[in-house]
Amino acid sequence: MKKNRITDSNLIRLVIFVIVPLAVLCSCAAKPKSYFTGIVITIGIYIVLAASLNLINGFSGMFSMGHAAFMAIGAYISAFFTLAPQVKENMCPGLPDWLISLQIPLLPGLIIGGAAASLIALIVGFPVVRTKGHYLSVVTLALIVVVRAVIDNQGDITHGSRGLTGLPARSTILTVYIAVVVTMFVLYRVTHSDYGRGLIAMRDDPVAAQTLGINLVRKKISCFAISAFFAGIGGGLWGHYLTTISASNFYFSKSFDIVEMSIIGGMFSLSGAIPGAMFYTIIPEFLAPLESGFSLGSLKLPTMFGLSNIIMAVLLILLIIFRGQGIMGNSEIILDTWFSKDTYLAPFRKEEYQRLAALIRRRSS
Amino acid sequence: MKTRRLLRTVACVGLAAAMMTAMTGTAAFADEEIVVGGIFNITGDQSSLDEPTQRGFDLAIEEINAAGGVNGKMLKAVYDDGKTDTAVCASNAKKQINNDGAVVIAGFSDSDFAYAAGAVAQEAGVPFVSTGATTPDIPATVGDCAFLCAFGDDVCAEAGADYAFQELGAKTAYVLTDNSMSYTTNLSDYFINHFEELGGEIVLQDYFSSGDYDDAAQIARYQALGEEAGILFMATGPDDASTVIEQFRSAGVTGPMISGDGWDTDLWGVAGDLANENCFVCTHFSADDESEAVQGFLSAYEEKYGTAPENAFAALGYDTAYLIAKAIENCGDDVTPAAIRDALENMKDFPGITGTISYSAETHVPDKTVVVCQAEDGMLKFRKNI
Repeated sequence: MKKNRITDSNLIRLVIFVIVPLAVLCSCAAKPKSYFTGIVITIGIYIVLAASLNLINGFSGMFSMGHAAFMAIGAYISAFFTLAPQVKENMCPGLPDWLISLQIPLLPGLIIGGAAASLIALIVGFPVVRTKGHYLSVVTLALIVVVRAVIDNQGDITHGSRGLTGLPARSTILTVYIAVVVTMFVLYRVTHSDYGRGLIAMRDDPVAAQTLGINLVRKKISCFAISAFFAGIGGGLWGHYLTTISASNFYFSKSFDIVEMSIIGGMFSLSGAIPGAMFYTIIPEFLAPLESGFSLGSLKLPTMFGLSNIIMAVLLILLIIFRGQGIMGNSEIILDTWFSKDTYLAPFRKEEYQRLAALIRRRSS
Repeated sequence: MKTRRLLRTVACVGLAAAMMTAMTGTAAFADEEIVVGGIFNITGDQSSLDEPTQRGFDLAIEEINAAGGVNGKMLKAVYDDGKTDTAVCASNAKKQINNDGAVVIAGFSDSDFAYAAGAVAQEAGVPFVSTGATTPDIPATVGDCAFLCAFGDDVCAEAGADYAFQELGAKTAYVLTDNSMSYTTNLSDYFINHFEELGGEIVLQDYFSSGDYDDAAQIARYQALGEEAGILFMATGPDDASTVIEQFRSAGVTGPMISGDGWDTDLWGVAGDLANENCFVCTHFSADDESEAVQGFLSAYEEKYGTAPENAFAALGYDTAYLIAKAIENCGDDVTPAAIRDALENMKDFPGITGTISYSAETHVPDKTVVVCQAEDGMLKFRKNI
């Protein structure tokens, strides 16, 4: 039995998933320095990260916790290419001369950063994917430690634990959301290709998948590398948003943040990254006024720092209990809307309006 | 279905309540108030430093307002928790500048966060005073809107080297560095440079990483030297202070240990009696100071929070608030971020309880006195001003 939902209408989908977000983005682009814009940029970066994590954790059946490591690689490598030469001379004298004198725009920098993360994922992929389940998670956690140790100890190249500062602030609404759409498009196509079906088959039953001719090792490693690529891009965007990076920014807690977002949104759905990132970013900001103490009429509450963390934790527990599959579950409604021709043609089709009217009539009766 | 309906109701009520708080939180302030932003990492790794800072800061704001405010206007402090996350800190700075209308922002005991929030403040042209960060190149990196309230690591480490060389008569030094923090890496570099300048010798430099909890390898390497170094310079953060002391002392290392302000924390007491032997800290402030200002601060803090200041960072927070108030006072009626920035830059001989602060166009890092303290009965006792 198929329920007739109002979101089945392409017109409604167009408004909710395309026009409203676009309007929000445009209003942000008009005020690039505002607090709200900052939050929207953060959400965008987290969407890239959570979606790429969903590819591993949700679709391939591996459970990686090592996203922060790939973020760090992407952030550092892209910074090496976008930092001004005199800054690099100061902070990273160990870099080769051609790299010190080179300064390129953000976009190619991001791609190089993503490629570097992807390359590392390929190399470490061979030992990593030999492990399964919890072991894989632990190995990927170890990767974070290794990356941090390398960054901290290669002072000539990475400026050690002092981190890199003075990155050009090029992660604007435009660049971040272009990255979001491109990431989503690529991942959406990947998961809907025969390659992606193979991934899902491998997740659901590795043995059966193998009998169907799916090379599990190749699938796992390549999936790991694709995910790392976008994690690297996310890391690069992150660095160019905050303009300062250090290895301590990309440690366990950052990885856990992304894992939480992916679980909240629904890790079996790429679209889940969107509500996941929004929930995880907006709720604490929303609760922040509660923490700093406020007065409601005559009632004056004291400052209660840490309250938002507690409320977040409770919300998470409730979500896990009542909706364990995450906000989106298995639904790809957002991406289906974004990347379907029907959505954009809907306003020009008469039958779409008739269908919407029928849906509304059925709902009200 | 019933539970679902109940949940929905609860969610709606919660949402409504949250919306109301959000609205009250951003309500417009009266014209008579000057909004001062404070961002501190009250939760997360940095909390043992930042929470006392926030308390000291708030105490000072309260005192200033009780005394009639600044030029007849009240100070309104808005606080946000940075959650020990650079992205949250940057976002908080944006919020305080754009939504709360903060004309100056204070906060942080660590350079990572100061860089992130400072960059936001710099872009908006709002002065940013770091309460406890000690990386001397923060103002140079962030820009002309950034100021430090504390001395730089260079001054701190050099004071440690001076004290070790001259007062403790150390000719050789062992240096242990936590290479996962910028603070400790800087501290060690400055210490080694100055100690060698004085004519001392570094017998061994070793590294560990914060959170290792096991220093057996480092201790073995140190003991393999065959003789005790004249001084052990332990560049660690607050979290590792007690583990390092405890393990070195338990292994029979008895030489004097010295460290920077990272050791000035209440967590330090965990090492207990082991710390009582020969441990020195170069820090911002000593509670032993008999002066009226310091004793006044101590009693006011104890009265408000029911506990003595946990560490020198409380005093730094307190000083930062008074420093900002003084700068605003010097602005007269023109209370704009730009005017406050200029007033800060022209600040001369501001008498804080952690030392005298002067800035100039050349340097936004104050050249303050370093207080050397020694551990005694679980307390830090004043030894020398350098």
